Amino acid sequence: MEIVVDNLVQVFGEAPNEVLALDHVSHTFPSQRFTCILGPSGCGKSTLAQIVGGIEPYTGGAVTVGAAAQPLGTHSVMMWQHLNLFPWRSVIDNVAFGLEMQGIAKAERYERARRLIAMVGLRGFEAHRPPQLSGGMRQRVALARALIMERPILLMDEPFGALDAQTKIVMQEELVRIYEQTKKTVLFVTHAIDEAILLGDEIVVMTARPGRIKEVIKVDLPRPRSQEMVNTPEFGRLYDRALHLIREEVLNALRQQEEAAG
Amino acid sequence: MGTGTKHKSKAGAIVYIVVPYLTIVAVLLAWEILVRVKGVQPIFLPAPSAIFKYLIAMIADGEIAYHLSITFLRIMAGFLVASATGILVGIAMGMSRLIARIFDPWIAALYPLPKISLIPLLIIWLGTGEAYKIVISAVTAFFPVAIATFASIRQVDRGLVKAAKDLGANTRQVQLKVVIPAALPGIFSGLQLGMGVTIIMVVAAEMIGGSSDSGMGYLLIHAGQVMETEKVFGGLIVLAVFGAIITNAQKRIDRLIAPWMEREH
Repeated sequence: MEIVVDNLVQVFGEAPNEVLALDHVSHTFPSQRFTCILGPSGCGKSTLAQIVGGIEPYTGGAVTVGAAAQPLGTHSVMMWQHLNLFPWRSVIDNVAFGLEMQGIAKAERYERARRLIAMVGLRGFEAHRPPQLSGGMRQRVALARALIMERPILLMDEPFGALDAQTKIVMQEELVRIYEQTKKTVLFVTHAIDEAILLGDEIVVMTARPGRIKEVIKVDLPRPRSQEMVNTPEFGRLYDRALHLIREEVLNALRQQEEAAG
Repeated sequence: MGTGTKHKSKAGAIVYIVVPYLTIVAVLLAWEILVRVKGVQPIFLPAPSAIFKYLIAMIADGEIAYHLSITFLRIMAGFLVASATGILVGIAMGMSRLIARIFDPWIAALYPLPKISLIPLLIIWLGTGEAYKIVISAVTAFFPVAIATFASIRQVDRGLVKAAKDLGANTRQVQLKVVIPAALPGIFSGLQLGMGVTIIMVVAAEMIGGSSDSGMGYLLIHAGQVMETEKVFGGLIVLAVFGAIITNAQKRIDRLIAPWMEREH
């Protein structure tokens, strides 16, 4: 499902202390494609994802998801940076939460939840509670909880940011596999360049605050993707391009901070 | 001594467990010897052995069982009233800004007031019967329960609420399925504070002049008035053990209802 963002403006705070977070951002996120939003911290990339998901209201411009004039969030589900799992619920009750809210009977929602739990490789952990699981396993619960909604758009806000390097690689490969199976439209927010290249069909590079789109990089690496592609010359070329853009923006951000401080 | 102090060895672990109890035995022994050698008057400070003898007698003739069960019932009654009203008001305040604004000045004005100072007024209104003891303990315990419930509902992680809404929960579902369970650990700590003050207030209310002819507070004040110091000590020991049992039972019940709490502390 296509997402059209048109001259989106987001302002935080009240008149004298207002902060321009997003400054006339326009982009069309193609249907069934994996788009990574890459930018230095504080560039408004998470804000953009939350606006698309109908989680945050916005100041100006327009966001259109799909054809119908339904409220934002109807067709999308978010996987959060801090996961936001419910610690008092078991794995299966976390995964089935969305179905429970729809009033679907326990037998059916458990059956569907079990299928998703198996898909993310957590069979046997249905009765555990999130605090009893490792970081990577909690990620899988959060992913299953999002996928069970069967919404065409998956929003991901730096979900792998807190993982150790090895677990992160495994989760990325898992996500690539699931994306290639389900063909969702994915918006993946990250500040890690290699992650963006490995996962994305295109990379939207954002500027430091206020967030604007600096450049859109097409990633032509073939699918199925795998971790070995990191060593190809094509990967290296994309990495250098993204790194160059990001470095400029990080330096900009530092300069802004110095000006504000001094 | 190296292994002993780090209690890595089995013997070290035993020392680690046993020594604290040995200090209790040592203090009791010193107390017994002091009283006997110096010939202290039992009215002033009875020997542990004498207290123990009294305690056994009090248990044997059912005196303890009678007074303790009455005190226990009063505590439960006061605590139930306080927790029901406190949780209800706390939840209502946490979920509605208007209700929070209405209750806030009342709580701000009444919470710092020492509740024991309400006793004369309550005796005028309610007499010195059961109603007065339950009301004074419930009023005292209401505040920590209501305040803790309100605070824990207000402090619920916004991320959980956002996630629930994103997964299609409506406002009522968010409150019932997310806010209240997320606030439970905080509500339980309020209930623990409430239980503590309920015990204090019930025993205190039982002590107030002639208001009672039963309960541990009555037993203590009566034994004190007739200079039966052994009985006073016996009553104190019973109350201490009783308090420890109640607090422990409460923690166990909390862990049973909200088992995810262990990991969060």
